[in-house]
Amino acid sequence: MKISSSQVLAIFIKLSIRAIIILFIIPSFKSNGQGEALFKAKCATCHQIFKDGTGPKLYQVRQKWSDGGAKENSIILWVNNWSKAVAADPYAQQVSTWSPTAMNNFPDLSKDQITSIFDWIDSQEEVVASAGPSSEVGAEDIDQSSNSTWIWIILGVIFSIIILAVGGVRRQLQSTSLEIDGGKLEEDLSYLDELKRLAWKYRKTVAISIVCIIIGLVVSLFLTLYSVGVVENYQPSQPINFPHSIHAGVNGIDCKYCHNSVNKSKSAGLPTVNVCMNCHKQINGNTPEQQEQIQKIYAAAGYDPSGAGKYTGETKEIIWNKVHQLPDHVYFNHSQHVKVGGIDCKQCHGDMTKMDETVKVQSIQALNMVEGNIKLTKPTLTMGWCIECHGAKEISTGSLDSKKDGYYDEIHKRLMDGDKDLYRKYLEDGKVTVKELGGWECAKCHY
Amino acid sequence: MIKINYIALIKVVTVFFILLNFVSCSSDPDSPGLEYMPDMYRSPAIEPYVDYAEIRGRENKEIKLKRSAKRPPYGSIPYVGTDSSTVSIMMPYNRKAHISMKTTHGMYDDDLSEINQYDLAVSDKNPLKLTLENSTKIFEEGKQLFNSNCAHCHGKKGDGNGPMVKSGAYAGVPNYSNLTNLGDGQIFYSIYYGKGMMGAHSSLLNKKEIWTLVHYVRKFQDPDYGNFDLNDASNLEQ
Repeated sequence: MKISSSQVLAIFIKLSIRAIIILFIIPSFKSNGQGEALFKAKCATCHQIFKDGTGPKLYQVRQKWSDGGAKENSIILWVNNWSKAVAADPYAQQVSTWSPTAMNNFPDLSKDQITSIFDWIDSQEEVVASAGPSSEVGAEDIDQSSNSTWIWIILGVIFSIIILAVGGVRRQLQSTSLEIDGGKLEEDLSYLDELKRLAWKYRKTVAISIVCIIIGLVVSLFLTLYSVGVVENYQPSQPINFPHSIHAGVNGIDCKYCHNSVNKSKSAGLPTVNVCMNCHKQINGNTPEQQEQIQKIYAAAGYDPSGAGKYTGETKEIIWNKVHQLPDHVYFNHSQHVKVGGIDCKQCHGDMTKMDETVKVQSIQALNMVEGNIKLTKPTLTMGWCIECHGAKEISTGSLDSKKDGYYDEIHKRLMDGDKDLYRKYLEDGKVTVKELGGWECAKCHY
Repeated sequence: MIKINYIALIKVVTVFFILLNFVSCSSDPDSPGLEYMPDMYRSPAIEPYVDYAEIRGRENKEIKLKRSAKRPPYGSIPYVGTDSSTVSIMMPYNRKAHISMKTTHGMYDDDLSEINQYDLAVSDKNPLKLTLENSTKIFEEGKQLFNSNCAHCHGKKGDGNGPMVKSGAYAGVPNYSNLTNLGDGQIFYSIYYGKGMMGAHSSLLNKKEIWTLVHYVRKFQDPDYGNFDLNDASNLEQ
């Protein structure tokens, strides 16, 4: 038999392909490397190893099937085409009712590949989540401070009783000692008379202290009046201890995801419960404190997290307390500031990625410490604060049409046509501020 | 003897009440504090996130502490101007969610369908046509939308490795490059109604924004998607 050179080549190629398979692919079966890669590419979207998700958890799922009385290899058939497995095996039929979401079919996975996936899954070990820092430290602090006020009151009452009792004893001793001495009391002095006599005796001190008290009262009256309508550090209680630091900080969620209407509308918007559920359908908390808080979201959304998870349709409201309140006679629009003005949230709300308590109105000192903020002096959310920023913030550096977003083109055109000198004056410091385009006019915000 | 005790008693009671006054000064933590003219502070017209149970001294117990944010009435269509192409994009979505999404995605108030319309959506075409002129703008908008609404899970590169996944909080986000066999309409459907663990995003994004995102997601799968290079441009002009 004669062998041509092309046949030799063909045999050589065949052999070398087999060698490659033996050398590379077969060992990878043993090391389960293929199982891990396949699990991540095909299964991980719906299945987790130790936790039910869209699909049930897969740890020792083969054991579960054989314990449940499933036929041999019926789980392999299930992965290839679950409806065929349902037809062939009553246990698979029972599994298919776990969730109304149907599993994808994977007809291209071979039996060995599926086995390697399950082998890899069963070789994993569950890492028990360590308890994170308690989120309820704030609440405990509040309790302690209110307890300590009561301690002070009780102490005060006890001390005043002691002082009065000692005073009474002293008076009695005095009068008895006078009686014993045989000297008649000048007259039976009442407390008031005694006080008058003392006041006259030390009249200079009394006069000075009265003046001091009056000055103090006037000053505190003015301070009180100045604090009316100033809401710095206002931090109302909230139905859920929501830590912004975890959501916006650790998990890097953009502010605009939850406060979704911020560049479309006047109000930034509170997320509706379905937005919470976009993540919390899967995340139910590592510590008991977190679980307790997340349970409140489930109650509001009408979600039962057991098993495959199920919405019951019985929803209720979460009633948040509004933190940043502007009076009705002021008009403020988030979209104008965020979308047109390009102001970052942190200019007015501070660095929420580090805020682990419930939201509060940040004080101006705290806002000035945030990097990149325009530094202001007046208290947050007062008119002085708004005005100050309108005077400092530029709309554009250079002419108004240099922004290229079209928003200020009209006013640029009108200034060029109508009042070039005014425009030149605006641009003297190299920028056009909000104030120069009417940001200090009353009717811009009050109408 | 009796007289002194009596006076002392009065004094103790007075001191106690003065102290009590100081305590009551620490005001209600849920009240923002004193205001100058309360009648100018609260709007009689409906404003978002305000409790309207009490307006100008009248209390309406029925709506006390009820939500002020509600779904728009059934069948209402947002006004989006008069540009006919935008209007046609913004008309209500013709595909309905599957009946099982009642329990999996909480869609109790939606019109549902017995047929799996996700499979039908495979043939839906993106009504937002990419052209040489608008493609840069669409991808720029898509990038902004993606980074604020999707990137925390799906990752800025669309590899399913966003900060939520990296921090270990969330698992099971697919890599877009594994999902090339999806139709444009199916990507839209999944964003609009949600799929698997992902929830519906129709309350966050309008239809035009979702179609913009579909273009942007396609770009992850194929870097040449929507590329109008100079040769193509000259071809178009001819």
